[in-house]
Amino acid sequence: MGVDRQAEEKRLIAFMIGYQKGSMDDFEGLYAALKQPLLRYLWTFVRNATVAEDLLQETFLQIHRARQTYTPPRPVRPWIYAITRHVALMHLRSGRRRKEMLADDQLPEVPVPPEMEKLADRATLHQLLSELPSHSQEVLMLHHLLGMSFLEVGQILGIAAGTAKVRSHRALKALRERLAERGGGDA
Amino acid sequence: MSTDLLPDSLRQAISDDLVPVKPLPPAWMRTLWAVAVAAIGLAVVITAFKLTLRPDMAQLPMWLSWGCTALQLVVGVVLVGMALREAVPGNGVPTGAVTLAVATGVLMQILVGIATWMHSPGMSLLEGHGLRAGVTCATHDAALALPALAATLWLVFRALPLRPSIAGLLGGTGAAVTADAVTHILCPMSDLRHVLLWHTGMIFGLMVVGWVAGKLWERHRFGKG
Repeated sequence: MGVDRQAEEKRLIAFMIGYQKGSMDDFEGLYAALKQPLLRYLWTFVRNATVAEDLLQETFLQIHRARQTYTPPRPVRPWIYAITRHVALMHLRSGRRRKEMLADDQLPEVPVPPEMEKLADRATLHQLLSELPSHSQEVLMLHHLLGMSFLEVGQILGIAAGTAKVRSHRALKALRERLAERGGGDA
Repeated sequence: MSTDLLPDSLRQAISDDLVPVKPLPPAWMRTLWAVAVAAIGLAVVITAFKLTLRPDMAQLPMWLSWGCTALQLVVGVVLVGMALREAVPGNGVPTGAVTLAVATGVLMQILVGIATWMHSPGMSLLEGHGLRAGVTCATHDAALALPALAATLWLVFRALPLRPSIAGLLGGTGAAVTADAVTHILCPMSDLRHVLLWHTGMIFGLMVVGWVAGKLWERHRFGKG
């Protein structure tokens, strides 16, 4: 897992370096590598697959406008997720937020790591996650579902790594409690 | 579920503007650049206003004269560095660290002012001349801070601060503390009322300038108030 993450991060850095040099292929590689996890992350904010798709395009346009602010060889994901988060928050603040909710089968797919999978099946997990407060969802999403370190989560949210860890711990605890209330988990 | 293929509209928008770009230098390097501009600016302003060392300099202990100036300069540079770090996405400074750094800059200026007032046998406030002395010092403070403030804010807004008012606040405080570090060894007034009203007041003023500049940039860049 750790080696895979390192390899993936190196691949993203190579894409960003090529993209900064003007390569469309590298931009496409970046898009293909990050589209699904970014959609999942955006869904945390807007709960609507169509809006998330729109915001994904806006995110990549913002990334394009700000591509010179990425400094190799820093990790790419905190940089991109911070921009994504900002796009989502600006959307929410703009009052254009739509209230429609979507069914689970509309959720963008992301791999669920074993430590989350053992809590419940995927559908239940998605349902329970959607019931948590947004700040709890966000930290769980970033750390447990998208596999980021607490340092990276802190960099994205503008908080200390320790604070991210505490938030994640509390959110996971809340998730387990909700699961226990349903009587469907091993918590 | 959609595919991972790039939508045509996005592909078109990107390919229309796909010129090579030079990556932003790291925050420490941009900080050095801002420090260089600030140093040149300080030298120019000191020369232009013909400012000289305070008359009671020899009576002040070394730690309180050059020592506190050096310490304030370090804090000011750290604040500028934090502003430039905050200006890059995914590199945000935790809110606690922002609060601590800004409070340290302000408190240090106040404590240095109090210590100087206690140790200095120097010029106290002349009756009826408080306003004139204050305006003169505020002008010097503003002029000394301006190069550092301009360089820092330019570097901040050239990047992509996602919390521009926070970045502006850090930059404004950094420039103000840096300027005050120099004013501390130039201003002949040791009266505490003068220091707290005009010099501490100028620090708060420059903090507000940085914060407002961030808000205005945010409105311009992202169209929000």
